[in-house]
Amino acid sequence: MHGPGSTAEPWVLIGSPRPKRMRSAPYRSRRVGLLAAVVVVAVVALLVSVPVPARASPSVAPVAPQSSGGVGYTVTWNNADVSSASSASSAMSIDLSQTANLVYYYNVSLTGPSVTISDARLQMYYLGFAVSTRDQVLTNPTPGSGHIPLSWTPVSIGYLLEGVYRLTASFLAPNGTTMWSENFYVRGTAPFGFVALLPIVLLIIIVYEVYGLVRSGRYAGIGRPAEGGAPPSTPPPQPSGESAPSEETSPPAGPPDEGGGSPPSGGSS
Amino acid sequence: MSAASHGAGCGVVLGIVLVVFLQQVGYLDLSDLVPTLEYLIVGAVIGGVLGTLIGWALGRNYLARHAADAAASAK
Repeated sequence: MHGPGSTAEPWVLIGSPRPKRMRSAPYRSRRVGLLAAVVVVAVVALLVSVPVPARASPSVAPVAPQSSGGVGYTVTWNNADVSSASSASSAMSIDLSQTANLVYYYNVSLTGPSVTISDARLQMYYLGFAVSTRDQVLTNPTPGSGHIPLSWTPVSIGYLLEGVYRLTASFLAPNGTTMWSENFYVRGTAPFGFVALLPIVLLIIIVYEVYGLVRSGRYAGIGRPAEGGAPPSTPPPQPSGESAPSEETSPPAGPPDEGGGSPPSGGSS
Repeated sequence: MSAASHGAGCGVVLGIVLVVFLQQVGYLDLSDLVPTLEYLIVGAVIGGVLGTLIGWALGRNYLARHAADAAASAK
């Protein structure tokens, strides 16, 4: 077996598994890596470009209190009336790591009915459920006008979520009935602009799934030959074989797939 | 699992995740349940269809280039 050097080289080539695949694997992984990098850059650019309507700053101008049953109700968020952010496109841009100071005003007219407010409530909704509820309860509610300050620091939410959310400010009577409520929208930004858990997790999932989608073509080679005994897509045997003795013996014998070398199976003399 | 079905799975997940992600970056409002479900279903369907097409095309491309490899690895 250790005869002339010319016979040693074919043995080395046969033993090496698929030199073409070893050559193309780094190239393919480089392409996938480049694609993943492009996707990440695009998504980060999407993150940074906040829609302009969502940046609409609230109007500080006082709005006439909205009356309900002879009682005027007004809610302010850092001295801005929340009725100015009644749609998602005009949402107030807030920092979820900062404290929000809300004031609930209620003005009872002298000729109107006697109304007692005992609770000011703020709720934040996501997917139809209240993810945060803040109450400010008066210990001794008295009939008449007044205001209820409420401070809210959604730091725990800020590290979890960001985006546009609907909030509801409500006035509650001592018996628990809602006297008045108003929906408004805020666009919360995470601490430092990006430190929120859910967007980061979603970004990782997106990159992973895009990577899986790009590599989904490899699944075409799995299971296809298992349908029939002799796969129709198998390449014909290399012409180097003298008479193609049997198709069963040629695959385990070595690399018959692409025949990158000149002497694929010329015998072991 | 074929390339098309794998692409469909990835596309469905991508469609759902993209809807939630667009809310997180401020492009969608998912405060209410009913429009949220509509957005998620539409995203899943569109993602599934696109993923199926992409997976099918990539599978054909892969088979065209690596038919011999696929046959050998299936043994």
